[in-house]
Amino acid sequence: MCRLPDRHWRLVCVGLLLATSDPSAAEPLGIGRAATAEEIAGWDIDVRPDGLGLPPGQGSVMDGEMLYESRCASCHGSFGEGIDRWPVLAGGYDTLTLERPTKTVGSYWPYASTLWDYIYRAMPFTAPRSLSADETYAIAAYVLYLNEIVDEEFVLTQANLAEIEMPNRDGFFLDDRPDSPNIRCMDDCADPRQLQMVGTIGGITPVGHFRAGADAPAASHEAQKALEEQKEQARLKELGIEVDDTPHAEVALSAAAAAGQQVYEAACVACHGTGLAGAPKVGDYQAWAPRMQQGMAVLIRHAVEGFSGEQGVMPPKGGRVDLSDEQVAEAVAFMTEKSQ
Amino acid sequence: MARIIRNTSTREMLAQLARESEGLSQRDRRDFLRRGITALSAAAATAAVPATLADTLNSANLPPNEPGWSRQLGHGVVENPYGMPSEFESEVVRRTVPWLTAESISSISMTPLAELKGIITPSGLVFERYHAGIPVINPEEHRLILHGLVERPLIFTLDDLMRFPSVSEIKFLECPANGGMEWKGAQMEALQFTHGMLSCCEWTGVPLRVLLDEAGVKPEGKWILAEGADGAHMSRSIPIEKALDDTLVVYAQNGERLRPEQGYPLRLINPGWEGNTSIKWLRRLEVGDQPWYHREETSKYTDLLANGKARKFSFVQETNSVITHPCPEKPIGQSGFIEIEGLAWSGRGTIKQVDISFDGGVSWVPARLKGLVLPKALTRFSLVTRWDGQPWLLQSRAIDETGYVQPTLKQLREIRGTNSIYHKNSIHTWKVASSGEVTNVQIT
Repeated sequence: MCRLPDRHWRLVCVGLLLATSDPSAAEPLGIGRAATAEEIAGWDIDVRPDGLGLPPGQGSVMDGEMLYESRCASCHGSFGEGIDRWPVLAGGYDTLTLERPTKTVGSYWPYASTLWDYIYRAMPFTAPRSLSADETYAIAAYVLYLNEIVDEEFVLTQANLAEIEMPNRDGFFLDDRPDSPNIRCMDDCADPRQLQMVGTIGGITPVGHFRAGADAPAASHEAQKALEEQKEQARLKELGIEVDDTPHAEVALSAAAAAGQQVYEAACVACHGTGLAGAPKVGDYQAWAPRMQQGMAVLIRHAVEGFSGEQGVMPPKGGRVDLSDEQVAEAVAFMTEKSQ
Repeated sequence: MARIIRNTSTREMLAQLARESEGLSQRDRRDFLRRGITALSAAAATAAVPATLADTLNSANLPPNEPGWSRQLGHGVVENPYGMPSEFESEVVRRTVPWLTAESISSISMTPLAELKGIITPSGLVFERYHAGIPVINPEEHRLILHGLVERPLIFTLDDLMRFPSVSEIKFLECPANGGMEWKGAQMEALQFTHGMLSCCEWTGVPLRVLLDEAGVKPEGKWILAEGADGAHMSRSIPIEKALDDTLVVYAQNGERLRPEQGYPLRLINPGWEGNTSIKWLRRLEVGDQPWYHREETSKYTDLLANGKARKFSFVQETNSVITHPCPEKPIGQSGFIEIEGLAWSGRGTIKQVDISFDGGVSWVPARLKGLVLPKALTRFSLVTRWDGQPWLLQSRAIDETGYVQPTLKQLREIRGTNSIYHKNSIHTWKVASSGEVTNVQIT
C-alpha cells in the first residue's frame, strides 16, 4: 500500500502508519526511566522455594526463642497456639481431613521459604519490615522448631533453608476446575419430598439495622466493643457494683499533644487505637489511670526503650525506630491527654 | 424499618418511651423499652397500610398540603464541595461481622448489595479487605518498579503511568471468600453478609501488557510477582498469560482517582479472578520463571478438599448469582405485583442466562437479563410475577458463555467437602414466609 514512487507520497504513508499503529505492540514509548540496581535492591524482598532472593545471614532456634517471645507471642501465643482469633502457627498435624482442620506452618504450608518471606515482608503485625535478615532467620527457625521440623540446636541459614522439607509439601494440586458440573434442568429437577432445609442460627449476624429488637452483634469492631462494654456496665450495675460512666469532657490539647497526634495516627493507632497486644486504648480512662500515676517520665521512657508488663508488650518506639525520642514523647502526650 | 425510625415522629415516640422509662430499675427499664420498640416495629411492619403510615409520617408534608421543603430555600452551591448521599440514606453503608477477624486492621467489610440498583458499585460502598490497614500514600512519592526477567528494568511515577494510552473497563471484583461462612451450613442472616464481598466498578488505567512491552519481557519470563506498598506488602504470583491477556494497572475508579480503600494511588485489576490477586497500593512487579508460593497463595487462598489435598492457584471466580430483591433486608411489603431482581457474574466471561426457581430447585423459569451485559461484570436479571402470600423457596441459577451452569450446594459439597473456605458459588436459597419475611436457608 505504501510502495509509492513519489517521495512525497511515501511521507504521507509513514504519517498514516504512525497515527494508526497500536502503541501496545510497537517500540517502547520511552515512558518512565531505568530503575537503578540500588532502587530495586531496596524493595526486592521476595523469596522463592528454591531460596532465590534470600539474603546472606543466619539465625538459631535459641536466638529465635527470645525474639519470638518479645515480637510474636502476644498474638500467636508462646507455643504458636494463637491468641483470640490470631493465626495458630504450630501443631495441627493429621487434621487436614477432619471436620475442623488446623492449618499451620507445620501441618499445611508447603515451603519453608514462605515462612521466611512472610515474616520479613509483613511481621510483626504492628511493625512490618522492622526485622533484620538475621532476626528473620532466627524467628523462622524457632517457628520451625515449634512445629517439630527442626531440633533445638538448629541454625537456619541462607544455604540450608531451601533444603528443609515441609511435611505437607505434596499436599497441593493445580486448579482443575470446573469440577462440579450442573445441567440446565427446567422441570422435575429434584424430588420435593427429598429436599432438606436448614435455617440460620440466630444472634450471630449484625441485623440491627433492618430487624428491630434483635439481640445481634454490631456491624463494626468499634461498635461491637462499645456494645459489649455497655452490656458489661449494665450487668455490673444490676449486681449493685458502682460503675464510673460519667462522660469525660473533651480537654484542649497541649502543644506537645497536638504535635503528637500525627505521630499517633501514623505509628501508634494500630495498637493503641484497638487494644492490640495488650496496649492501653486511647480514651480508656481506667486502663491509662494507673499508668499515668507513674508519671510522664516513666511512660515516655517505656515508650522509647520498650517495656514488658503483665498486660502486654511495648516494643521500643512501638517498632518505629525511625521516630525521634521527641516524636514518641509527643505521641505519649497526645494519648495520655486523650485518656484522662 | 430504618427509614421509619429516622422519621421525626417516630424519634419523638422513642424519646417519649425513654422518658417514661426513667425511674424504673435497669431490668424493668430494658423490658419496658423492648416492649415499646416491639410495638413500634409492629407499626412499622404494617406500614404499607395507609392508615398506619399516616400515624408515623408528618401529614403536613403530604398532599394536598405543600410540604415544608417546598416552602423554603435550601443550601446553595458548594455547600458540600464533594457531594454526599442524602441523610435519609445513612443506613446504606459497608458493614462487617466483627467475630470473623481479631480486629479491624486486618479484616473485611461487605457491600450493601440489597440497596444497590445498578451494576456499578459506588466507590464508597466497594467492599474493603486489608491486611495491614489503609496506607496513606502521597502519590508524588509513590513509585512502581518493574524488574526481573526484562530487558529494561523501569521505574514509573504516577504521571508517567498516566502518559500511557488509557483504557476503561467495567469489571467485578470479588473476594474468593465471599459466601465462605456458608460451607458448613446457613449462618448469615442478611444478603450483605452472604454475598457482599462483591463489587463492580469502571476501572481506568493501563493494560499490564503495555508496561511489559515497555520493559521487554525475556523469553523465560513466565510468572509475575505483584506487590503492594501497604504494611502487609501483599504479594501474589500471576501467570504471564493473564498479564498479557487482560490484567490492568489502574489509577481511577468510577471516573475519579482510586479511593484509599481501593489502593490509591495505584492497583492491579485481574478481571474475573479472585480479588486477592488484584494487588492494591501496587509498588512492584517482578518477572520470574516460576511462581513464588508466598503466604497468600499457600497458607491462604488455597482450597482444602475433604481428602486433605488443597487446590492451588484457583484464580477464576466461577459463575455465581443471587437474588437481591426480595432478600432478608428487603422483605416483601405487600401482595400483588413483584419484580424479582438479582445479580449474576462470571469470571470466565459473559452471563448468557439466569433461571429462577420458586420451589427450591424443583422447577425453573427463565429470567430476563437487563441493562448492560458485559464480560466479567455484574449483570442484572429480572422476573416480573405476583405474590399473594404463598411461601417461596427462591433460587437463581446463572449460566455463562462457556456453558457452565452454576452448581447446587449439594454438588459443590460432594466434590469439595466443607473446608474449602474459598470459591463457594453454589445456588443460593431465600425462604419467603407468608408474612413476606425473607430468611437465608440451605437446601440439600
